Amino acid sequence: MQQELMWGLPVVLYLFLAGVGAGALTVSASIFLRGGDVARGLHVDTARYGAFLAPVPIMIGCGLLVFELGSFETGHWFKWLNLYKVINLSPMSIGTWLLSVTVVVSVVYAYTFLRDAPGLPNEMRYPLRRKLSWLAVPLGIATAVYTGILLGAMPSRPFWNSPIVALLFLVSALSTGIAGTLLIRALFHASNPDPETGKNFSRSGYLLTAADVLLIGFELMIIFLFIMYAHLTIGSVKEAVSVILFGGDLAPLFWLGVVVIGLLIPALVESIYIVPKLLYHRDFSVPRGVEVVVPAVILVGGFMLRYVVVVAGQITGPVGI
Amino acid sequence: MSDKKANAAVSRRKFIAAAGGTAALGASAAAAPRAARAAGTAHKPHYGMLIDLRRCIGCHACSVSCKAEFDVPLGATRSWVEYIEKGDYPDVSRQFLPRLCNHCSKPQCVDVCPTGATWKREEDGIVVVDADICIGCKYCILACPYDARFTNPITGTADKCDFCQHRVSQGLVPSCVNACIGEARIFGDLNDPQSEISKLIARNPVTVLRQEMGTEPNVFYIDADHTDPNGATNNGQYVRVDTHRQHAERR
Repeated sequence: MQQELMWGLPVVLYLFLAGVGAGALTVSASIFLRGGDVARGLHVDTARYGAFLAPVPIMIGCGLLVFELGSFETGHWFKWLNLYKVINLSPMSIGTWLLSVTVVVSVVYAYTFLRDAPGLPNEMRYPLRRKLSWLAVPLGIATAVYTGILLGAMPSRPFWNSPIVALLFLVSALSTGIAGTLLIRALFHASNPDPETGKNFSRSGYLLTAADVLLIGFELMIIFLFIMYAHLTIGSVKEAVSVILFGGDLAPLFWLGVVVIGLLIPALVESIYIVPKLLYHRDFSVPRGVEVVVPAVILVGGFMLRYVVVVAGQITGPVGI
Repeated sequence: MSDKKANAAVSRRKFIAAAGGTAALGASAAAAPRAARAAGTAHKPHYGMLIDLRRCIGCHACSVSCKAEFDVPLGATRSWVEYIEKGDYPDVSRQFLPRLCNHCSKPQCVDVCPTGATWKREEDGIVVVDADICIGCKYCILACPYDARFTNPITGTADKCDFCQHRVSQGLVPSCVNACIGEARIFGDLNDPQSEISKLIARNPVTVLRQEMGTEPNVFYIDADHTDPNGATNNGQYVRVDTHRQHAERR
């Protein structure tokens, strides 16, 4: 099937990056709230990595979207500002406003994690951080869900037009958000922290890694349900899903790239490190190499999931005329 | 329905009464709505098109006149004619399927537009795009089940058939209708039961494209062949569709 894609790599990257950012924001705010004390909570160090990561991919993703616009390509550099002149029920319109709010909140939220943040004394910084984290959790979830609704809103694209795509993107966003946070943490954390910090570091790592295994399990279940229901129906949806089933154009990328490399292998490796603590209460520790490689592989898998879904939706359409 | 007819009858009577003052009105496809306007009634036309494929010879005059009317950029088409070849020799046929924007009553493209750059006009039911507002996000192009939209490579905005609204507002028929040598295209007011298009739709079996999408198209076909290589009507036989567009396949 030779077809020009309306939404190409910038949109794929945007859906992936916005997911990572939204996931990191939600996860960071959640574990921060879970960790207790505002100043020196249990997970505050890990939440800091997530908070600093979150706004970056969201903003890069939004920037990429502008490059994909037809108006930008023909030299109308600022025409995209028309998005801010209206608000209607188009998922893209709601998403625009939602993303704008999320970007602002995530930037301010990250700012409250700066030690000695200029212009923000601690007695203001800590309450602000707590309030913003209550805002950041729903905003991150909403942003992640929105990336799926954006695709799901069109009956003309049978591959996308399913409520489960948004759920798949949400779970993938949380999983890749955790992976992004763990990756940044693995790259920048101190080699020999003091015992207290090291203990918290290990507990946060265990919480996130265990959550990630659970999320990947959910993701596999959603993928199974998506394929099963699509395959059991007849007509356009069945035809559409056949591109990722055996013999389809995108089958190798989907099964090898998304399912095996992106989900199964990282979940297995993460399980190897979780199970001893889960069953025998041993200490949770991960070698730095694994700490870096596993989240990186999860991120690659998340990107390939977006790639497969975005391309599959565009090379398939309604059956008949 | 009878109410509608009664209203139309009243408006015609008023029109005849007022005809002395509006003698300049000539015969045109839009005569009925004009009559209503002249009579001061609130008749709102809802434009549609009927394509009678018994009269279509696949000559592409409609496509060419559309290109000329709008100076549609190379590689893009607002109006096009598909050829459907099917069967094995000697049992073969070739059918034609002229395509254009369906100006749906439930336009998906309008629902997804984030800037309000495309809408269905209340005054005549034409689905239009405002190139000054459109940012070229291509959402509508993906949302259209008929692939009627494209990105205009010069303006970078969504573009499509607009039923020649500049001609229709002057009482003329769209360019493709004007150019059709077989008079296969009938344009008119679907709200007026006395219009030629309404009468023909009432008297003939008509179909629309992809009616299962629920878009309620306003372009109707008589004797259309709905065969699609992926569809349910190809009966397992050889089917080839030539779209005569830049992308050779329907999508």
